[in-house]
Amino acid sequence: MKPKRSLSTDISSFRLRTYRRDRRARWIITLAGYGIILSIVLIFVYLVKESLPLSFGASVQKWFGWGLPRDENVLLTGVDSYQEVVYVLTAGGKIKFFRMRDKALIQQDSLPLFPGEHLLSASKGSLQQEWFAVGTDSGRILTALIRFIPHYTDTGRVILPQTSLEETFFADPGQAAGHVERLVFRRNEEGQRFWLWETHTGELFLRHSDTEFEEVYRVSIPRPWGEHTLTALTMSYSGEHIAFGTSGGEVYWFRYADGEVVLQDRFQESEMPVSALSYLIGDNALVVGDTDGRVSVWFPVYGPSQIYKMQPIHRFRSHPAAVEQIYPSPRNRNFLTIDTRGNAHLNYSTTGRTQLEFQPASNRIQAAAIAPKANGIVVVDAQHRIGHFLLDNPHPEITLKTLLGKVWYEGYPRPAFVWQSTGGSDAFEPKFSLVPLIFGTFKGTLYAMVFSVPLALLAAIYVSQFAPYWLSRLVKPTVEIMAALPSVVIGFLGGLYFAPLFEQHLTAILIFLIMLPGVFLIFILGWRQVPESHRLRIPIGWELWFTIPVALLAISLSLTLAPYIEQGFFGGDLKQWIYMTLGMTYDTRNSIVVGFALGFAVIPIIFTVAEDALSNVPDSLTSASLALGASRWQTVRRVVLPAAAGGIFAAVMLGFGRAVGETMIVLMATGNTPIIDLSPFNGFRTMSACIAVEIPEAPVGGTLYRVLFLTALLLFTFTFIINTLSSVVGERLRKKYARF
Amino acid sequence: MVEVKKVDTEVQLQFKVPETDYNSILEGENVVIETLHLNFYYTPEVHALKAITIKIPEKKVTAFIGPSGCGKSTLLRTFNRMNDLIPGAYLTGKVLIEGQDIYSNNIRLEELRKKVGMVFQKSNPFPMSIWENVAFGPKVNGITDKSLLDEMVESALKQADLWKEVKDRLHQSALDLSGGQQQRLCIARTLANKPDIILMDEPASALDPISTGKIEETIEELKQNYTIVIVTHNMQQAARISDYTAFMMLGELIEYDKTKTIFTNPKVKLTEDYITGRFG
Repeated sequence: MKPKRSLSTDISSFRLRTYRRDRRARWIITLAGYGIILSIVLIFVYLVKESLPLSFGASVQKWFGWGLPRDENVLLTGVDSYQEVVYVLTAGGKIKFFRMRDKALIQQDSLPLFPGEHLLSASKGSLQQEWFAVGTDSGRILTALIRFIPHYTDTGRVILPQTSLEETFFADPGQAAGHVERLVFRRNEEGQRFWLWETHTGELFLRHSDTEFEEVYRVSIPRPWGEHTLTALTMSYSGEHIAFGTSGGEVYWFRYADGEVVLQDRFQESEMPVSALSYLIGDNALVVGDTDGRVSVWFPVYGPSQIYKMQPIHRFRSHPAAVEQIYPSPRNRNFLTIDTRGNAHLNYSTTGRTQLEFQPASNRIQAAAIAPKANGIVVVDAQHRIGHFLLDNPHPEITLKTLLGKVWYEGYPRPAFVWQSTGGSDAFEPKFSLVPLIFGTFKGTLYAMVFSVPLALLAAIYVSQFAPYWLSRLVKPTVEIMAALPSVVIGFLGGLYFAPLFEQHLTAILIFLIMLPGVFLIFILGWRQVPESHRLRIPIGWELWFTIPVALLAISLSLTLAPYIEQGFFGGDLKQWIYMTLGMTYDTRNSIVVGFALGFAVIPIIFTVAEDALSNVPDSLTSASLALGASRWQTVRRVVLPAAAGGIFAAVMLGFGRAVGETMIVLMATGNTPIIDLSPFNGFRTMSACIAVEIPEAPVGGTLYRVLFLTALLLFTFTFIINTLSSVVGERLRKKYARF
Repeated sequence: MVEVKKVDTEVQLQFKVPETDYNSILEGENVVIETLHLNFYYTPEVHALKAITIKIPEKKVTAFIGPSGCGKSTLLRTFNRMNDLIPGAYLTGKVLIEGQDIYSNNIRLEELRKKVGMVFQKSNPFPMSIWENVAFGPKVNGITDKSLLDEMVESALKQADLWKEVKDRLHQSALDLSGGQQQRLCIARTLANKPDIILMDEPASALDPISTGKIEETIEELKQNYTIVIVTHNMQQAARISDYTAFMMLGELIEYDKTKTIFTNPKVKLTEDYITGRFG
């Protein structure tokens, strides 16, 4: 008799090995699965982490402050780009340099003043360099430049300031003792210098010296403000625009060119006197502050009357007291407004937002400056205390509204959705609207789907339901090879070969799109006239051979007819007609071309998944339908398609997801123009292409870099939602038919 | 489509059986289905039906019996050309229904299948409501009038003996019915098409005895109006419900006779061995 074996203990070594192997495999598979989920979560977290700082606002932190000797009033202050040395210009003409680190006076320069001569006014001349000019009580104007020269020693970097007097002249050569009460000085990038001043008699003069041509203009400026008095004046940093504010609250905008000053526009924010005016970087936006503490930004807008009119674009949070000083940032469209009670607001022109409100001093502020890298603020108050603030404001241009809403940018006639991340100069106003990119993404996807969904689904129906076995065995792998084609090749062919070809044969191709179904319809109608006994003799699958001559016929007909149709209906040039009649411009790389190219990439996905779904409809259902006398087409329409609906939906959504995320094809075939226009004849820019184009040029940690990460996050979210939707809905539909 | 090959090769038959005398067996009956020297090939190597010549009488139940793989289902499916779906299959010989060669070129497949309905081994209701299932045939054949369809659905369900059970839930999913009910629904679906002939391919093989009994009752009633051809594995079932029985083996027709004769006094030894359970 065989010994009795216990089931639980007596396990042979073979069983044990199998058991262990099973357990090991289960572990590895589980680990891999969780690994995939984890990596997706990590990608998500990383994208969020990189784009989240966009939502952090500005912050300012008082670094330190110290008192100056209380001898003379301060007219100007400034700081070097490392924020190591700060200078103040006093009314006595002394320029004192202090080292931030130990508050030590490291250097003192003096302007060559006459004995007893004092400075009445001072103005910085540039946002990039420390140019300045001063006006004295003896009618002189002195112009100087401060340079901060870094020296590298063994102990590190030392900033050595250097002051050089550039030019001195009498404001009015005929009248030596005039006061220069107010002064605006500008030195533009071409080296031209402009001095605009008001004398104690209230007269206004402009002197313009062109270093290159050695010409000096001297212009007396009219004062059209009647009984009101001049309360503020400014000039753009290019020297082209001049603005005057009056006690009546009016602002007069003049344009200056080659010795002539011409009044352009007059506008008014309020009845209160204008107390401060300043142009921002870029010389378009004019900031107006009044004695009630109102702050507004105006641009010249090209209006319907064919002239530029100043328009109020943004109003900022009001100050509790009169706005006294406005300091534009040398880096971006930030500006600091300071009122008479020592409150400071940090505003951003593009967004119209007051980012910060702080009080650097409890009394009047004599002078302030924003550091060259816009990362610090220096103020000197009435009690001769210097305060140094560190400013942390990395992404002032980003708000939810600038990302997704219409923004009125400088030089635009109205608010618009614009993506333009970089420009030619430092003064460029970056425009980060994601709307054109989102629009472009869905426009490309839409055109691709219009082209690919009908083709792929009809092909899947034909191959799975009608085609003879030998044919479907040939077609399926061929379509799958299409999927293996690198998208860069499709994009390359689409953008560089197909797009010009399409443009060349535009009329013929558009005719072909109508011609092909038309010719087929006529052929089928004709075919039905053939006696049934003849028709039924054609074996299944052979109808394919009939389509080739019919398609060739449609092509040759289109090519032959195209010139006549173009001549007859479109005045000989379809592109011209499209432009003249429909008002659409024709781009070589346009949406139709992308639709074809992107559709080509999407077709295999939709086809393969849909074909599987259709083939997986149980034969018992098809048989039942056929046995009831339904034709093949009736069977497909009434039984197969409803049963495969889940899979077909999943196929379309997968194709959609692929089209949304596709990069190379749209990059190469769209022209990448971020415009919002439904016209099929122009291009667009998708989110994915935008990331691919711009990320190599985006400085790490910069605004563009983070906005691109935000775009990536958005794209990820879109495709995630689409894919989830496709599997959830697909699964639900599949469950409905799962009992077979 | 099944290709009909004109050239008929000489078919070597394995079993020597006496020729069936249809005239005396089917005396007084009206023949509706007739095959002449029918050969069916799934592939050139797989010769599934060998030189079958058989006659099936009108408004009677004819059963095909035989061991698995004998070709009885294949034969059944040649009557409504369901074999057309099999890629690469072809046949030689003729299948006549009411004297018309159904494999000739001027046959409309849809009309043929409307006339020759079929019930499958595994119940296969569509994933639709009961009503939609039954109305499917009339709908695909062009009937759109709702009240007429309602009438047809009701009459078909009554004939299939299902009306009482489902009349209150005609618009619920057919998939919620029990296995036996589903099969009777499939019968009703076939009946709604008003066929002349109903082919049944082991209609009760997947059902429990009670459901089987109900199906058999239904068949009993249906034969008043329809010609029924049934394939079955169950000899008792064949004996109970059929009027005529054909015994097949390895693609050949071994014996055809009245059911009573086959089960009591078969002429061929092989038939007797099969019926008495010596092999099978």
